[in-house]
Amino acid sequence: MPTTHLENQLRAAPRQADSREGKVYADSHLVITRTQEPVGLCFAGEIDSSNARAVADFLSNRFAGAEDIHLDMSGLSFCDVSGIRSLIEAAESRLQGRLMLHGLPHLLQRVMAATGWANLPHLVVVS
Amino acid sequence: MSTTNLHQVDKFRHEALLYANLDQFVAGTVPFIRDGVRAGEPVLVVESVAKIEMLREALGPDAGAVMFADMAGVGANPARIIPAWQEFVTRHEGATRLRGIGEPIWKERTPDELIECQRHESLLNVAFGRGRPWWLLCPYDTEKLDAAVIDEARRSHEFVTEGSHAEPSDLFRGLEASGAPFDAPLPQRGTALGRTTFGPNDLASVRSLVAHHADAAGLGAMRAAELVVAINEVATNSIKHGGGRGTLTVWQETSALICEISDRGRFAKALADRERPSESVAAPRGLWLANQLCDLVQIRTIPDGTVVRLHMRRSATQGLN
Repeated sequence: MPTTHLENQLRAAPRQADSREGKVYADSHLVITRTQEPVGLCFAGEIDSSNARAVADFLSNRFAGAEDIHLDMSGLSFCDVSGIRSLIEAAESRLQGRLMLHGLPHLLQRVMAATGWANLPHLVVVS
Repeated sequence: MSTTNLHQVDKFRHEALLYANLDQFVAGTVPFIRDGVRAGEPVLVVESVAKIEMLREALGPDAGAVMFADMAGVGANPARIIPAWQEFVTRHEGATRLRGIGEPIWKERTPDELIECQRHESLLNVAFGRGRPWWLLCPYDTEKLDAAVIDEARRSHEFVTEGSHAEPSDLFRGLEASGAPFDAPLPQRGTALGRTTFGPNDLASVRSLVAHHADAAGLGAMRAAELVVAINEVATNSIKHGGGRGTLTVWQETSALICEISDRGRFAKALADRERPSESVAAPRGLWLANQLCDLVQIRTIPDGTVVRLHMRRSATQGLN
C-alpha cells in the first residue's frame, strides 16, 4: 500500500538534518520542519490554545499545490482540541489534496474519534 | 400490567418504577418490554449484566427483538448515558414510538456518582422533553436505596409506578427546573495536594502539574495522559470564557485523583457537557471530551462563577470507550 511505503520513508528520514536545515516554524512549544520525501512537515512539541491560531495560519498559507501533504506527527507530545481544529482548518482550506497524518499518537487518535473527527475527507489518519 | 392502554405516549414519558424485590422488578419491566416488542417498537434495555440475564430468561423468544446494554459500561460516567439514548432515538428515526429501560442508580454508587446520576435523571427531561414520543422506565430499588434517593426520583420523573399503579408524580420539578443551573454544593474534601492559580500563559504548567500528580497517584500512563487532555480543555475554557484565569486544586484520595478548576465563567447550557458535538469544526468539544476521558465530571454553578471537578479512579478501569 502506498501509504505504508510513504510512512516508512518518513520514519527513515533523518530528523537531525531536517531540524538544522528545514525549520519552517518555531515557537516556545513547537518546532515544524520541512520534509522532502515525502513532501511534507514534521511536528515536534505541543499545540494548545496558545499557538493553535499561529499553527493554523502557518499551515493554511503553506501549500498552494493540489498534492497530498504528509505530516509526521510522531513527535507531537501534546495537542488539544484547538490544535486538532487548526489541522482541520488547514486541510479544509486547500482546494485539492489532503493532509495525511503519520505517526499520530494513539491518544490523539482516540480524542479525534471521541470528538467526531475520525473520518474527515481532507484530514486522513494514516495507521 | 395495563399501563400501555391507560397512557397514550404522545411525548417523552419519563417514569420511575419503584420495586422492592426482583419479583416486582420483573413484574414491572417484562410486560412493559413485551408490549413494546409486540407493538413493533424498538426497545433498548440498559441494565446490569445480572438483570439482563434475568430479563432474557423471563422474556423467552421476545428477548430476540430487544437490544440490551450493560449500564456498568454505558453509565460508568453517568454523563455518557444521555448520548447513548440520543443515539438510540436517532438510529430509529422511522419509529413512531420507542421504549427504554435504564437503571443508572444502584447502592454501590459512590456519593459523587450518585448525585451526578440524579442530575442525569433531571437532564433527561431537558434532553428529550420537547422531542419525539418515547417511553423511558427507570427502575429504583426501594429496599436497597435510601428514602432520600427515592424522593429525588419522584422529583426527576414525571410519572411514578409502584406495584401496578402508575400515576403522575406530585413532586415532579418540571421541565424548566430540570435544566436550571446546578448549584448543589460539592462536598468538602480533605487537604489538597496543591492549589494554584493560572492565566493565559500557564497551560503548559497546568498540564505538567496534573501529569505529575497523576503519575504519583499511580494512574498509569494512558489514564494520566487522558486526565491531562481533559484538564487542559477545562483550563482553556477558563482562559477563553471564564475571565482569563482560573484556580486549579488537586486532591488525592484512596480511590480517586480529583482535579478541580474554578473560574468566573458562566456555564449557560445545561446539556453542554453531554450532547454529542455538532459536525461544525467550531463547535465546543472540551467538556464533552472531559466526560469521554474521565470517570466522573462534576460541574457546578456558584454565585461568582463555575466549578468543574474531574475524577479519575486510581484502580485500573476503562477510560475512553
